[in-house]
Amino acid sequence: MIQLHNVTLAYQQDASALNNINLRIGKGEFVFLTGPSGAGKTSLLRLLYGALTPNRGQVLIDGQNITRMTPSQIPLLRRSIGVVFQDFKLLQNRTVFENVAITLEVLGWGRADIGKKTMHILKQMGIESKYNLVTQRLSGGEQQRVALARALVNDPKILLADEPTGNLDDANKNQILTIFKEANIRGTTVVVATHDRRLIEQSHKRLVMLNKGEIVEQVEKETTSDDQTF
Amino acid sequence: MNKWKKKQPATIKPFKRPTLSGDGFGGRAGFFLSRAITNIRQNVFVNVVTVGTITLALLIVSLFLLVFVNLESAAENWSERVQVTVYFDKELTSQEQAAFREKISALSGVSRVGYVSRDEAMKRFKSRLRGQETLLEGVRPEVLPTSFEIALKRSHRDTTSVEAFVVALKRIPGITEVQYGEEWVRRFNSFLNFMRLLGALLGGFLVIAVIFIVSNTIKLTIYSRRDELEVMALVGATRFFIKAPFLLEGLIQGTAGSILSVALLFGLYEGFLHNAGSFLTFNPATSGLSFLPIEYLAGLLCAGALLGFIGSLTSLKRFITV
Repeated sequence: MIQLHNVTLAYQQDASALNNINLRIGKGEFVFLTGPSGAGKTSLLRLLYGALTPNRGQVLIDGQNITRMTPSQIPLLRRSIGVVFQDFKLLQNRTVFENVAITLEVLGWGRADIGKKTMHILKQMGIESKYNLVTQRLSGGEQQRVALARALVNDPKILLADEPTGNLDDANKNQILTIFKEANIRGTTVVVATHDRRLIEQSHKRLVMLNKGEIVEQVEKETTSDDQTF
Repeated sequence: MNKWKKKQPATIKPFKRPTLSGDGFGGRAGFFLSRAITNIRQNVFVNVVTVGTITLALLIVSLFLLVFVNLESAAENWSERVQVTVYFDKELTSQEQAAFREKISALSGVSRVGYVSRDEAMKRFKSRLRGQETLLEGVRPEVLPTSFEIALKRSHRDTTSVEAFVVALKRIPGITEVQYGEEWVRRFNSFLNFMRLLGALLGGFLVIAVIFIVSNTIKLTIYSRRDELEVMALVGATRFFIKAPFLLEGLIQGTAGSILSVALLFGLYEGFLHNAGSFLTFNPATSGLSFLPIEYLAGLLCAGALLGFIGSLTSLKRFITV
């Protein structure tokens, strides 16, 4: 699903943010990217949804080489990728419903279908009762669930998350992790960048460790009782 | 009933292919329009500021245009005085009059030819000396010259054309004495050219300033909503999809601003200006400023709409980094 070949990325003249990265993430995989701040986690994610282009190397998403895409093709790529951030990036003066519906409006869905599908995903996230509140009145955990609803409402092939639990308490972290797992079960490839050790240890998933722009260690998925139940 | 056949829970029932909101251009345009109107309603303050800026900017430009148009029409009135007169010492017979009239009319640039007989000249002389008719005692019409008064077409009232016309006129046999107030024509034309240059310069600077102010205002309003642009780009909106509502919004703002500025201008005109301009013309019949002609008003409307549209377009370019 995701392949990186010899990817090098440098911001201006600085030392490269990513250095000769080779990575392959299969369809339906759940991968944690971890490492200290400045290791290149965010840069790597930004490469995957086409916000950055590498200076060298190739990035393939679902067989398409996105380093060769024209600017007009990037939006089409993003329609199959959901992204969530530590700071949620919600529209603060809009309601929960509007924040989620925007994904489907962009796809050109009709009003009735948008209504049904949006309420459906809000119900999955457990925030359907708040659909008419403006997002700035929600708690951090609720806001992240709105962001997740926005990312998942059109059933993306890939879900990218950049420190999704950075602003959340433990109870909310667990809920968010559960949502990631559920999305993964439905077939979505999930890539989560985090330096939250506990989150990683809890979930027993494949781990890619970055440091100074290079992959320093990879831990393959541990087969645990947790996994077997799915 | 087959007990192995699992009943699918409603929650994971796959969705049918969604109906698209209005396929084709018309449906899209409707969507963008409703989006633009929603945006305006959700950002009332910002929109009021933008429309206000466009209104004031266009009001300044239209006031300038009003003055300029009136100066031009005053100049037009003054230029009526550019007139060439051919004098004769004798009364012309009607055949001679017809012959001269024909020859003069054949020259290019002539708009009107009028014969002034001795009696007519005497009448004018008298009316000019009204109240002092005693001065004319003993003056008989025979001492006055007869003449042809020739008015020129608008395009032939500049100095060189008038001079060329006089040269051509003098070539007609029988015409010797021609007067046309050359000094006045020259001065009038150089004054007119100076006014036009000044107007063009001032107007040019004004328009540049207005474009600058309006585009910066729009830039600020779009800057205040850059998170929206970012989110739209993130969920896979094409550039056109992101831009279209903003462009429509700019168009609406510009049109609203220009309508308001024309309304304000009309109010100002009705309130103060329509009788304030008698210094511009010497003819009491046309004293007072006239309102802008309809072409200028239409032009202002288009300029407003264009201003809003282009302002949004250039500002968006800076903030959309898809």
